[in-house]
Amino acid sequence: MVCNLLTNPKFPILKTLQPELDALTDNALMLKVKDGDLDKLGLLFERYKKPLFGFYYHMNKDADLSEDLVQNVFYRIMKYRYLFRGEGDFKTWMFHIARNVNHDHFRKNKLNAKDSLETWQDRLGTDENRSTELQQDETMHLLSMAMDRLPEDKREILLLSKYQEKRYKEIGEILGCSESAVKVKVFRALQELKQVYQKLETRY
Amino acid sequence: MEQQRIDELIAKYNAGLATSADQRELELLLEQGKIELHQFQELATLNDQLVKLNEPMSSKNLDERFYSMLKAEKQSVVKVSAWKDFFAWPQLLPKLAMASVTLIIGLAGGYFMRSPVTVKGDQQIADLSQQVSDLQEMMMLSLLEKESVTERLKAVSLTDQMDQASKKVTNALLETLNNDENVNVRLAALEALRPYIKDSQVREALVRSIAAQKSPLVQVALAEVMAQSQVKSSVKELEKILQNEKTPSDVKKRVQETIQVLT
Repeated sequence: MVCNLLTNPKFPILKTLQPELDALTDNALMLKVKDGDLDKLGLLFERYKKPLFGFYYHMNKDADLSEDLVQNVFYRIMKYRYLFRGEGDFKTWMFHIARNVNHDHFRKNKLNAKDSLETWQDRLGTDENRSTELQQDETMHLLSMAMDRLPEDKREILLLSKYQEKRYKEIGEILGCSESAVKVKVFRALQELKQVYQKLETRY
Repeated sequence: MEQQRIDELIAKYNAGLATSADQRELELLLEQGKIELHQFQELATLNDQLVKLNEPMSSKNLDERFYSMLKAEKQSVVKVSAWKDFFAWPQLLPKLAMASVTLIIGLAGGYFMRSPVTVKGDQQIADLSQQVSDLQEMMMLSLLEKESVTERLKAVSLTDQMDQASKKVTNALLETLNNDENVNVRLAALEALRPYIKDSQVREALVRSIAAQKSPLVQVALAEVMAQSQVKSSVKELEKILQNEKTPSDVKKRVQETIQVLT
């Protein structure tokens, strides 16, 4: 995030502030957290609460549950801060944890699978209602609905692609597969998304 | 040749004419890194639109929960580090030094302050031992008046435990030596008096006792004490034994030897 600003020609003054800004990179902050400066975790929380919440919300469409899961991610980051080596990218490490938190949650709640199916059906209902609420941005709304109709694994990889800014190598690290395998998975997921989107387009 | 085939395939896909076989081929090319995702126009647009997908907002509840969790963790870290810091070597060193200095000051203070306490303590010990020896004397004197020979012997032996017998004690022992009806008790009294023979009063009393004794055993014992202690003033009294007709010849012989030693 900070690095992108540094390379941006619109902000030449930032180059002079480089040492200060270096100290504010995700990895530098997390290393400080690791060394006991826990206040720095607050900065990381402010930086990533939104994308993390978005990731979970797009996955489960449950705001309360998504907040619980975001809290859980930061709890794990705090508890296992000594495991962060600073060699890899903090954001990648965080999404790796986020994915585990999500899987652990749904593994625990497997018994409620029937309920979740019902809520999924409810969710589709609310999506349809929402079409009236968001008429100004129909494309985005249809896209959101199409995303909800995708199988979980495909929805997950597309969300990771969104929040990891299409850095497929890093997504591969999160999923434990190669960069090229991620590209193929994204390709397939996008194809299915296109099909669902087109179907929805003809309906509305 | 290959690039031409790739371009054909992509064009076919973008036109929506790709077969499933073409699709598999495209996936393979993608995997090999020969083509990139952005080359698929529609998919690339969709992918870009995903980035713009509206972001839901979390509630303030999430912030509150996170910051209270962070606060709790910070407090627990402070508690742990307080103990860690206490035992950490750089922090422990001045504390150890301080403790050592305090100990040395304490010891030095104790050393300088001990004298009056010791004098007082010594006085107390002296008082106590005086009281003990007074008790022993009392006990000895009362035991000497008992009828039982054993009790009287016990009384005489009590003087062994006394560092310095008082005049009262030596007088009681001399009284026993001269008047006790039991020979053993009289002999024990003589043994008990032996350490005090340097005292002139005791010595004279012993000399006077020689002629008064009727028991040959006590007479011989007295004669030996006189010889060992070189009490020359006893010769006259010893000669009285020799002059006594009732004195057994063995005793006379021993007394004679003693007189020879003394003269």
